[in-house]
Order: sequence, then structure tokens, then C-alpha cells
Amino acid sequence: MKLIKLFSIVFFSLFMGYQLVAQEKVVTGTVTADGDPLPGVSVVIKNTQKGVSTDFNGKYEIKASPDDVLVFSYVGMKPVEIKVGNQTQIDVAMEETAQALKKVIVTALGIKKQRKSLTYAAQDVKADELQRVKQTNPINSLAGKISGLTIERNASGAGGSVKVLLRGNKSLRNNQPLYVIDGVPLANPTSYIPVSTFGDKSGGNRDGGDALSLINPDDIESISVLKGASASALYGSAGLNGVILITTKKGRKGGFTASASSSYTVDSPAYFMAFSDEAQKNVDSFFQKGQTNINSVSLSGGTQAAQTYFSYSNTNAKGIIPTNDLSQHTFNLRETAQLLNNKLQINGSVMFSKQKINNRPVSALYFNPLIGVYNYDASQGPLSKWKEFEVFDPSRNLMKQQWFRATSDIEQNPYWILHRNPTLDNNQKWLLNLGATYKFNEHFGVKIRGSFDKNTMDYTRKIYATSNGTLSHKNGRYILANFDNTQWYGDLSAMYDTKFGEDISFSAILGTSMTHNLTDTFYADSGNTGGLQYANVFAIQNFNASADVSINEHHLQKKVSSVYFSSTVGYKDQLYLDVTARNDWSSALPAESRSYFYPSVGLTGILNKMFEFNENISFAKVRASYAEVGNDVPANFLYPNRNIFFGAGVDPQTPVRPLKVPRPERQKSVEFGTEWHFLDDRYGIDIGYYNTNTVDQYFIVDASAAGTSGGRVGVNSGDIQNKGWEISAFAEPFRNDNFKWHTQLNYAANHNEVLNLSNESDGVEIPYYTISPGGVNSYASYLVEGGSYGDIYGQVVKRDDAGHPIVDLSSGVAIQKDDNADITIAGLEKVGNANPDFMLGWNNSFDYKNFTFDFLIDGRFGGVTMSMTEAVVEGMSDNSAREQSGNIDVVDLNGNVTQLSNKVYYSAAGGRNGFTGEYVYDATNIRLAEMSVSYKFNLNKFGIKRAKVSLIGNNLMFFYKKAPHDPNVTGSIGNTLQGVDVFNLPSTRSLGLNLNLNF
Amino acid sequence: MKRIYKFLTILSVLMLLINISCTKDFDSINNDPTQITDEQLTADFQYIGAKFQPVFESIIITNPAWKYQLQQNLNADVFSGYMTNPRPFIAGANNTTYNLVPGWNNFIWTIPYKNIMNNVAYIEKQATEDGFPVFVGIAKILKVEAMHRISDVFGPIVYTHYGESVTTSEYDSQQEAYYAFFDDLDTAQDLISNNISDGYFTNFDMVYEGNLEKWMKFANSLRLRLAIRIAMADPVKAQTEAQKALTNSYGLIENNAENFIIHGNKSHPLATICNAWDDIRMNASIESYMRGYNDPRIYKYFSLVKEGDTDTQPVVPGTFKGIRNGLPLLPNYADELAQKADYVNFAVLNKSVMTSDLQLMTAAEVWFLRAEAALRGWDSGDPQTYYETGITSSFEYRGVPGAAAYIADNTSTPMDYVDPVNASNSINALSNVTIAWDNAASDEVKLEKIITQKWIAMFPQGEEAWAEFRRTGYPKIFPVVSNQSGGTIDTNIQIRRIPFVVSEYDTNPDGVQDAITKLGGPDTGGTRLWWDTGSNF
Repeated sequence: MKLIKLFSIVFFSLFMGYQLVAQEKVVTGTVTADGDPLPGVSVVIKNTQKGVSTDFNGKYEIKASPDDVLVFSYVGMKPVEIKVGNQTQIDVAMEETAQALKKVIVTALGIKKQRKSLTYAAQDVKADELQRVKQTNPINSLAGKISGLTIERNASGAGGSVKVLLRGNKSLRNNQPLYVIDGVPLANPTSYIPVSTFGDKSGGNRDGGDALSLINPDDIESISVLKGASASALYGSAGLNGVILITTKKGRKGGFTASASSSYTVDSPAYFMAFSDEAQKNVDSFFQKGQTNINSVSLSGGTQAAQTYFSYSNTNAKGIIPTNDLSQHTFNLRETAQLLNNKLQINGSVMFSKQKINNRPVSALYFNPLIGVYNYDASQGPLSKWKEFEVFDPSRNLMKQQWFRATSDIEQNPYWILHRNPTLDNNQKWLLNLGATYKFNEHFGVKIRGSFDKNTMDYTRKIYATSNGTLSHKNGRYILANFDNTQWYGDLSAMYDTKFGEDISFSAILGTSMTHNLTDTFYADSGNTGGLQYANVFAIQNFNASADVSINEHHLQKKVSSVYFSSTVGYKDQLYLDVTARNDWSSALPAESRSYFYPSVGLTGILNKMFEFNENISFAKVRASYAEVGNDVPANFLYPNRNIFFGAGVDPQTPVRPLKVPRPERQKSVEFGTEWHFLDDRYGIDIGYYNTNTVDQYFIVDASAAGTSGGRVGVNSGDIQNKGWEISAFAEPFRNDNFKWHTQLNYAANHNEVLNLSNESDGVEIPYYTISPGGVNSYASYLVEGGSYGDIYGQVVKRDDAGHPIVDLSSGVAIQKDDNADITIAGLEKVGNANPDFMLGWNNSFDYKNFTFDFLIDGRFGGVTMSMTEAVVEGMSDNSAREQSGNIDVVDLNGNVTQLSNKVYYSAAGGRNGFTGEYVYDATNIRLAEMSVSYKFNLNKFGIKRAKVSLIGNNLMFFYKKAPHDPNVTGSIGNTLQGVDVFNLPSTRSLGLNLNLNF
Repeated sequence: MKRIYKFLTILSVLMLLINISCTKDFDSINNDPTQITDEQLTADFQYIGAKFQPVFESIIITNPAWKYQLQQNLNADVFSGYMTNPRPFIAGANNTTYNLVPGWNNFIWTIPYKNIMNNVAYIEKQATEDGFPVFVGIAKILKVEAMHRISDVFGPIVYTHYGESVTTSEYDSQQEAYYAFFDDLDTAQDLISNNISDGYFTNFDMVYEGNLEKWMKFANSLRLRLAIRIAMADPVKAQTEAQKALTNSYGLIENNAENFIIHGNKSHPLATICNAWDDIRMNASIESYMRGYNDPRIYKYFSLVKEGDTDTQPVVPGTFKGIRNGLPLLPNYADELAQKADYVNFAVLNKSVMTSDLQLMTAAEVWFLRAEAALRGWDSGDPQTYYETGITSSFEYRGVPGAAAYIADNTSTPMDYVDPVNASNSINALSNVTIAWDNAASDEVKLEKIITQKWIAMFPQGEEAWAEFRRTGYPKIFPVVSNQSGGTIDTNIQIRRIPFVVSEYDTNPDGVQDAITKLGGPDTGGTRLWWDTGSNF
């Protein structure tokens, strides 16, 4: 004890002495960012080693002399230097460096990397940008903000799933990217993907949902998008289509903060085809204003050792179609802890989400109320009178459907569909994460992680008696579908990080992981012939005991185990070499080809460190990488056995089998890029080029039905190429204390080509591969050699040299079909491609004092889209605007030009199986995708650290659009039904109010 | 440093071990335990027997109904003059107006190959290996019954070369196919008659409850049907095979208890198509004959109102009214649905012909076949007796009295057709043939009577009726109103076949080119099949 006392006296006197010499004083202050206290900011006296860091309240205390300069620095923020002078309190508001300059990015496996060292293209979006105009599916908010990322919303209203495409379509089965939450792959199953433009007779073309719509947007801290395969080689096959990394919020050290936010938007149906005035009145009377209300609260706090984050959010939405509503609750609890002198870090979280949707809108022709609404004959009086959709039928002693004409399979009274064919979706997600990292020393550590991820998606449709006979038994029909997907994931990795000498840094990871995915489904459908025993009682025990009802269950599982290695070698902070390698073993492949290895290599050079540049160039780098990714197939895909049918024996058809032992699929990609920043990082540009070849995919192709395969075999074949440019540029043309303008432009052009389909060695000709079957309708999508993914096929009118349609007028109006196409598949010829030539997003943010004004303009250039909606409306009714007047020149079979009224011509051309070539539009569109005005209030005296009110708008207007519908909406998040609108729910324009409070 | 390397080595080994042990169950988990393997089906001989049900239920496919609609309804059922569609599908440009729809007709071809040939091939192979001759015999009879229908639609088909390739196949000419049918019937009858007391097929028999003698009768009757079909194309073979059938000791189907009817457990697809979808109605041709003959069976074939639909009034109350086949989208209608609305209340099919029973051959048909055989001098019996037994048998089968009076009617003739909605579709009857047998009449007239009565009796077997119409020209079915074949099909000669299907053109182009050579004419609906000689004597 004495010794300590002595030591402290000596130390104290030395210290005091020093202070006396330098005339030091105590300086205190608070460091904030965006109004929030910022903990962990380093405060250093310039040119010394002396420094402190801010505590959890952003406060610091340092002794300094008046001549000293304090340097405040924090990752991702612009450093601030302030001379002490005679101040004793120095408060600093730090600003983030420009978006693209953030120094650290979370990459594969949760590894934080210095952005400058990346050898591939990655881009990220902060929480603020995502939450600015909040949407029920947070992924929607990425549209236009990332170059090379295409987003199409499912036409199913609130809570709808999203189709995300990075760098084009590559796979025949799944082109969605992998989502990763806090380093662990997320299961993002969908319970259903529609295929045909006719619609599914078993309940309609519905949205099978996705896991992303079950995530609380307010829990997201940031999203990073790794666009290519090299960025994702470490995630294995699932990362083939790129990876979207979501980092969620965690508890903060010290103190306690709370936040609350509430947003309320009103959604109006917009962007219809051109109806006659009378028809439009009826259409308008059917729709209503939708409302979306998202509320969330979060609590965060903790000690130096353990921190907690808790959030709850609920969403209530009312759709633009009457009776459609959604309610959703999401809970999230996250615990982080640092133990044993920070050597052990523990992270655990539980997320639970529950979503209930009544009458989720369907697309295509079956069970779609819009058919009746759009085709209603206005001369029968206002549509609203059919709100009395049923009338008592004394012969059956029940209420029966009524409508202005006989119902058909595709057309019933729309109000009857809503009230007497109702659906209910119940979706739930559990996500449990647990991880621990132990650092033996500053060089070496191990990490273990596990997750349990469960999604259940349950669906029912109740179809009452007197629904149309194609869709229902006379006593009604009950459809029930349960989908349950569970994913167990675990990984174990060792991390090593060191420096060899002054110049060379080395870091490496070696690890193993195991993913076990189980899917259980149950499906029961009383059908239209099997039927129910008692009318309008919806229960499985009420099914007739008949071979015409369907009841089935299926259980699938897949395990993939992997060993992976990743290393980065850095030279003088100016040259980085990345090498990764991975071997997967998949249970979905036969033993002979179960194991597959794939590597990647990347190199990047920081030019401004290697060479002397003009001082205006603040950053410059070049990057190049090459990556391969192997891929397996879905579970039980290669050698399935026969199904048993309820009451009806075994499946008559031979299961589809591979022609030869299947190989793992393979994707090879190469990319180059360069990034330059100018004038103190106020301007910057990133240009990238990539080329991806997806080869040896497992195709199920048609063979002769009279061969023993029974008409279909599986072969590894094909080469699908995607190449393109991505450019992302930002600028801050104005920046001063009061006013700041930040603007960012994202450009991407992808070119897709099917280089070949058939492998000659297999002896199987693959003249085309069907992505969306035509069936009996005039829309289909096929892959042919030399064609592109997304090619749309339709029925085209034969024209003379002057472009007049050729029509046989000898009996009625028989429009002649074009017979000059290079390729005709099942009577349809190519009419265009659904994918854009290039995409452009322009994101702007203006800050003036407490005001912020943001807007995003999103443009999609090139590509076509087909309106089967318009075709059907013109074929089934006279409700289109152009059918009301006007004529069209046609020629008869003898070549004489004559006129037909638009009404006669388009009635003959229309219909689902008509001349859809007449309904193909340029898909180019430029829209005001997002706009918001925010004001920050100073309410500190009420204990509110930060209060922000925003007026927000989404999808506000189109500056340019030729199609009758919004081409950014899709009827399927799968590969099917791209570039066609078949009575999709019209896209909405939303206006609303957002309130954020931080305590 | 050393410690770390050591640790890393241990960790790597550990990881590899974990992975190797994890892949152990990979083979066993990659399946769906709800699906069934042949090993699981050993009990009750199901590994072979379970393959029969799909065969029985695909000759006329029972489920889903739209497949039947494309397999037979929107072609043979219409071309045979039995039924037609009230809605002019595809704006009137469809099969029924000879604008043949490849997407529809593909199913005529793919269903039997995907559902029948594959299963029969499996049964033949497995049952031969494991010593179940009756399984093999029955499978062969079913194969002939199923595939002669396909040959009768297209001409050349894949039959003897089936099984030689996984992905393509070589076609037989129709003559080769028919010769193979006779050979298969020979083999089948040998296998069954030599093992006539074997009982293992009983559980799987959806027709005769395991009575193999009845199967022998059916095989004889089927042989007679095929022999008669080639009467003019190959008279020597025809006579040989007919006499083989007529003299076989097991005999032919003679009474309605022996009818070849598949007793399914699914509702008849016609019920769905007619009642639920309102997509099929009575044809003008059968109206003209049955109403002209005052045929009482009309009440069993057709109905004035839909089942369960009590307030829909027929367009002409109290009358059975059919629709002309081959209607285009008439110029006075805005669209298909408007036209359908005018025709949907014409006569519907009666529920008694749309039960879960699938009728493929009745005793009446066999009596009419024997009448023709006698007429051709292949049978020593009296054609008149056979003809009249055929009619009586049909009345019996339908549960309708009055056969004797009907047989004696020598005045009634088919009546003119009147379309009450669009008068331009009205047409005069094309035949004045009467019911009563007339020994003094020419063979041609006698044949017309036989085929006309067979046609009425066989309802609703559209496939067989269309084949016999093409072979003989009887009954005199009304031509299409609108012929949109582009000149490939003659309106009055009417459609002779369906072109080879689009999926074969895509996947088996060499096979199709060879088949066209074997067809001996262009691959259109106007080319006559081998047995379609255009003359009857």
C-alpha cells in the first residue's frame, strides 16, 4: 500500500508539474452526429499521443493548453480540428463523409473490411435513406439507390414480396440474391410462385410472400449490396446471384436511449389503362384509398459489458381493394456482451414476426375481381349496385351470386369474389441468432455462430356455393395450404490477422459451415369436382370422400456442408490481393458429384498512394477480380419417386430423371472497376464492368413423349451470359454550415445473351427452354440460343408492306397471323424483351438548417411490357378509351385498303389468346420514386433528444411512361410472368407523414 | 506462433471431420418420404398392379377435365357430330372450324405416351421377369385399345419402336401399327387363356372384376373392330383377323354385362366440361338424326336443363336443340361470350352418360360389327339379325323401352336442322336413310344403316364414331359452317386426321419427317389415313 501511495504522489507531482509548465486546463464537451451523442470518438491533441475517447453520452474531458489543436475522429466521419484557445467547452457536431467514402464495409461472413481494399463492387445504403420513405417491405426502399440492382414489386399490395435482380438473370430456377442478417444467411423462402397468365385455378395467382416483408425496417442499421459472385464466394452457392447484407441495430454501451417512430401514408390507385369515361367511373368507384400505418418503438442501453436492444413494431394497412387489409407485429431482442477483458464477445438475438393478410390481391385471370370491374358493361347501371352480390335462391335455400351476365371461369361479380371467395394469409417468422468470438490475442481468434430460422406461411381460400363452376363445386370449395420452412445454420471459423514487417499485412479466415434446410408442406383442396358435403362449411372433414379432392403433404430437406478459406494480403496500404476458396458438399447431388470446389481471386490498387496525383484527386483505385461459384439443385430434384394421389393411386407419369450423372452447376465471372474521388471527396465516381457466364445448369427439357423418358429429361447444359456496366457517381456541389446538397447518380446496363442451350454430347436438342409457358394464352417467355432471358413471345398481326393489318373480311373479321417470324414457338413469336437496356437512379438530398429535402428519380430505359389486361378488356368488353371512336386502316385478303372502326378491330385483336402483339409497349419509364421534406425540432427541454417530422411521397408521378400500367410491378417474384401485366393490382401513389422521436 | 499453427492444424482436421461425418446421411435425406418406391409396393403385387390404374384412367383421361377437353372433346367428340362447343373459342379460329390449334392437340399425343405406354412397358418387363403372364396379357390388350385410338387420329405412331430411345422415337406406318396390334392381341390372348384361372389381377381390374373370360371376349371384339377398320385397306388381313375373332372359343361381347366399361372413381370429365364450364352442348347432326327418328334414347343422352340448374330455360322449351359445329365468331356478336350466351341454353348432356363409368365398347357396337362382317360375307350369320340385336341391345343398355317399334320404323328419316338464333346456320338433312332393315337395299344402304345405328348406340364415344365416319362416310354429319383450314381440309370431305403434334416437331424432328413419309401425304388435317380409302366395297 505504501508503495502505491508513494507512486501516486510521484506520478501526481510529475503530472502537476507538466501541467504547470504547459498551462493546461480541462476542456469538456459533447460530440454529436446528426443530433445523437456519439460515443467512442477519439479526441487527440494534434501531434501528440495524448488522447481520450467520448463516453456513451458523447462526452469527453481532456486537459489541453490553449495552443493545442484537438482532433476529433471517428470511422465514417469527417475529422474535425479545433484550436483550444480560451475555450473550456468544445461541442462538436461531426458529419459523415460522403456516402461512398465510408471507410468500413461489412462483407461476406460479417467480416468488416476497409472499403478501399475491396476487389469487387459493393455499395451500401444507410438506415436513414431506407427509412426516409418507409415501406412495408424494406427492400423496396433500395430501388434506384444501388447501381445494377433492379427491383420489381409484387402486385399484391401491402406486405407484398419483392423481386430483386443483381446484374441480370442468370439461373433457370432462382435469380434472387442471398440475404444475410448480421453475418448469418437468412432463409427467404416463398410458399408459391405463379406460372401462367391464365392464373392458378387453385386459388388464383397469389403472392407466396417472402421473409423480407416480415422484417421491421426500423431495426435496420445499414444494407450493403455485394453485386457479383466474387463478393459472395464465401457464402457459397446461395450467393451466386449476389448478396444483400443487412446489419441490424444493437444496444449501445452505457445509458439508455429510446426511440419511437410512426408513419402514416395514404395510397391511391394510379396508372390504369385508358378506359372510356363511363368505365373509368365504375373502376374508380370500386377502388378505395389505401392506408398504411407503421409504428415502432425501440429501447437501447447497457453497460460496458452487456448491451440490450429491443424493438417492437406494428403495421396496419388497408388495401386499395375493399376487404384487403394487413396487420403485422414484429419483436426484436438483441443482446451483446464483451467479457474477459473484451476477449470474448457474445451476440444473441431473437426476432419474431407475425403477419396476417385478408384478401391479398391476386393477379391473372382466376379469382381476380378486377376482371369483372374492368369488363363491366356500364349500360347496366353503376357497378356499385352489384355490391348486392347475392340474392336468395329458394330452390336451394341459400344465397346465390348475382351478376349482370352469366359468370365465367374468369369473371364473377367482383364483390362476390371479395366476400364469398375470401383468402387469409398467416405468416410467421422466428429468427434466433447466437454467436461468440474469442480473441486469443490481437492476431488470432475463433468465432462460432448458429442460427435457427423458421418461416411459416399459411393460406386459406373459402369459396362459397354458387361461385363459378370452373372454380367451385356446387357446395363450394375449400383450399388450405401450409408451408413451413426451417433453416439451421452453424459455422466455426478461425481468424488470423498480422503484419509482416512494416509493409505487408495479412489476414485470413479458415472455416466450416453447415446448413440444414427443411421444408414441410400440407395442401388440401376440395376441388371443383370432388367438393364439399355440406354447402359453405369450410373444413377438411367436410370434403367429399372422393378421388377428385386433393390432400397431400410433402417433406423435403437439404444439407450443405462447406469448408472455406479467405485471405487478404495488403502491401503498403496500396495494393491488396484477395484469395478465397470453398468446397461444398450438397445432399441434393448424387455421391459422384456431391463435392465441388470453387475459388476466387481479386486485386486492387490504391492509385493515389502509389503515384503522385494532382491534389484535386483525393482518392483513386482500380480493382479486378475473377470468381467461380458452384451450385447444386433443389432437394429431391434429380431422382424423385412417384407421387401418390389422394384416393387415386400413383402418378401415371414417370418421374423426370437426369440423362447422365448430373454435375454441379457453375458460374464464372470477371469484373473490373475503378473509383475516383475529387476535391476533398466532394465528388466521386465508380465505374465497373462485369461479365458472368452461367454454365452447365441443370435443365429439365422436353424430349419426345414417345421416348421412355415420358417427355422430359434433365441435362446439364447451356451458357447464359450477362455483361454490363455499372456507374455510380456522387457530388456535393454545395456544402456550408447552413446548406448542403448531396446528389448521387446510379447507372447500370446489363446485356443478357443465351450463348447456347444444348450440349452436343448429350444428343438432346434443346430448341428452346420455357420460362413462362404460353398455355392457351398469347404470352410466353422462352430461352432460345442467341436470345435473351426475358424475351417475350406473343401473337403478331400479319401486315402488308405499308404496315396495314391484313384482315380476312369474308366472314366476320379474321385478323391474319404473321407468318414471317424467324422463330415461332407454339404459334407465338418474339415481340421484345422485358429487361431494361439500362437503369438510372438519381438520388438527391438537400439540407438547409433544420430542413431536409430529398427526392429520388428512378428511370428504366428500354425493354417492353405487354398489357394482357388491355387485350382482355378489349376482347371481353368495349370499355377501352380507343374503342369509343376512330378507325384503323386495314387491308383485306385482296390487298384493298379499307377502314374498320377501332371498336371492331380491337375487339377482334383483343382477348387473352388474341393478337397480344398489338398490346406490347415500350417499358421505358422515368418516375419520381420518392420525395420527402423533413424538419428537425429542438425539443431538448422536453427530454426529447431529437424530433423529426417528414412529409413523404412514394411513386408520385411518371415523367415518362408509355405502357398503360406501371412496368415496375410484377405478377411473380420468380422467373415467370416477366414483362406482362394481367390484371395486376394497379400501382399506387402514396403520400404520408413520418414522425421520429429519440429520447 | 507455433501454438497458433498447432491450433490451426487441429482446427482444420476438426472441421474436415465434422464435414465428413455430416455427409453420411446425405443419400438418405435427399428424398420426399411421402413419395413411393417400387420397394414399398411389394405387398399385394402393387409394384406391378398399381401401374394399371393410370392406364385405365388415361385411355379417356378422367382428371383434370381440361385434359380430356383437349384429348378428345374439342376434336373427335365434335368431328363425330355428337357434341359441339357453344363458345367460339379463339374468336372462332379453333379445331372446330379447322383452324387446328397445336397447343390443344398436343395432348392427344402426349397423354397416352406419358400415362400409358410407359406404364405398360414397365408392366410387360417386370411381370414377364417375375412370372405374372396375366398382367402382361392384360397390359397388352389395354395398350392396343389405347393406341389404336391414337393411330386413328394421326396415322403413323410410335408403337413397335417404343422403348428403343430415352428421348426420341421412330414411328411405324399405320399398317405396321395395326399389324402389331393384331400380334399383341395374339400374344395377350395366349398368355391369358393359358392362365385363365390366375387370380392376381382381380384387385386391379377396373372393368371385369378379374373375370379373365370376359377379357378374352373383349380382346376378340377389339380384334373385330380393328379388322373391320382395315376392311378396304387390307381386305385379306382384315378377313383373316375378323374370322380369328369370330371363331375364338371365348366368343365376343354379346350382352351388356360384358361391356368394356372402366369403372372409375372420378367424376366424368364431360360432367365438368358440360355442367360446370358450359363448354359443350348437343351437336346439330345428332339432333337431326335422333329427333328425325323419334329416338327415345335422346332422353338418356341429352337433357333440357343442367343438373342442379332449375331456372335456366332452354332456348326452345321442350325441344332438344343442338348447335351446328364449326361456328365462327359470328359477325352479329361482339365477342365469344356474347355468342356463347345465345347458345349456352341449347341441350346439355344427360347425367346418365356422364357418370364415373367410362364407356369404351358395348355389346351393341359388337353386334353392329358382326352385322358388317356378315354383310361382307366374313360371317355366315344374318346381317339383319345382328343389326336388330344391336339396336335392341342398345335400348336395353340405356334402359329405354320401345326397341321393337323403333326397329320397325321404315319411314322416319333425319330431319332438317333449324338454328333458332341464327337462321343462316340452318341446313337440310343430308341423308334420308330409314331405320328398318331392307333386304332389298344395296350393300351401301345397308352399311349406312349399320353405321348410323352404331353411331347412335356408341354415344358418347366420339373417338370411335369419328373413325367410323371417316372410314365409311356415315352418318351424314353436317359440314362445318366456317372452314378456316387455309385450303388443307375440304369442307364436304371433312377433316381426316390431326397433324403430328408440335412437341414431336420440337423434340423428335427426324422421327416426324419419317412419319410424314409413312403417312404418304402432307401433314395436314386433309390427308387420308391408310385405312381411309374413301370407298366401302
